[in-house]
Amino acid sequence: MLTANERHRYDRQIIINEIGEEGQEKLKQAKVFVAGAGGLGSPICLYLAAAGVGTIRLIDKDTVDLSNLNRQILHGTADIGHLKVDSAKDKLALLNDAVKIEAISVTISEDNINSLIKGCDLIVDAMDNLPTRYILNKAAIEKGIPFFHGAVRGLEGRAMTIIPGKTPCLKCMYHGDVPKEKFPVIGVTPAVIGSIQATEVIKYLVGMGDLLTGRLLIYDGMSMEFREFKVSKNPQCEHCGEKRKRS
Amino acid sequence: MAIQINLHKTHRRYTGGKGSVDVEGKTVGECLKDLIRKYPPLGKEVFDKNGKLSGIVEVYLNGATAYPDELAKPVKDGDKIQLVYFLAGG
Repeated sequence: MLTANERHRYDRQIIINEIGEEGQEKLKQAKVFVAGAGGLGSPICLYLAAAGVGTIRLIDKDTVDLSNLNRQILHGTADIGHLKVDSAKDKLALLNDAVKIEAISVTISEDNINSLIKGCDLIVDAMDNLPTRYILNKAAIEKGIPFFHGAVRGLEGRAMTIIPGKTPCLKCMYHGDVPKEKFPVIGVTPAVIGSIQATEVIKYLVGMGDLLTGRLLIYDGMSMEFREFKVSKNPQCEHCGEKRKRS
Repeated sequence: MAIQINLHKTHRRYTGGKGSVDVEGKTVGECLKDLIRKYPPLGKEVFDKNGKLSGIVEVYLNGATAYPDELAKPVKDGDKIQLVYFLAGG
């Protein structure tokens, strides 16, 4: 049940027909897992907190560095040297203190992922490397909870939503690893992609709209173009296909 | 009529800025080889040292992923191949 204060705070989105008070209540009851408090994690958390998502479990092992600040807008100069999850928790509390932030500073691994996501309704990908994305993808499929993928480089980004058992997953489309690099990026790129991921999360939680499933959305800020590519389930996928079922 | 390969912008430095190249072949792999015959420096961008598709290149055929077995996918005149660069940053 929404309070009078909540009705006031979220008035402009409650009057979206597809959300209403019922949708707002769903957001309030939700617990989302955000993997990463960096470039993507910043807009994702800010917009989910602003929208009134009840609980955000935020995971990041790093401390804030000066070189993060061109894009990781949850953090500022005064946060340098502090844990990103602590800095993020402080900023999100200033934005919306009704949102519960569970800040955990740990490296995500195959050993701890199941305990980390326990009780969460979905996983949001805000990582900066492919191996951890695969860990998240696999865990989401095994637990049967949605996975909201996003990635950036330079002025380019991509996003796709994965519903286990129904749609292709991240492993269905990726065939290899990407060499580790100090990837180029400017803050507006994760702002675009993170906002798309947050939009998808909100749509899923409320139960509205058409999700970005089976479609890889690619954004090119240099030419200011969005493109979509169809992605199909790979029957031989190690995470969601026959190979997994046999193992 | 040929098959059109649309290049990622990082690859266009090898084609004098051209964003698309017409090629010939019966499979995606043959088309990519024709592309590299025309622009040899692209070879190290598209294929790894073992001759396999580079891990940082994705191939889409007529707007859909060509994975898995991208290089063996048959093509016909008028088809469009898109080379996309992998992204992993966050």
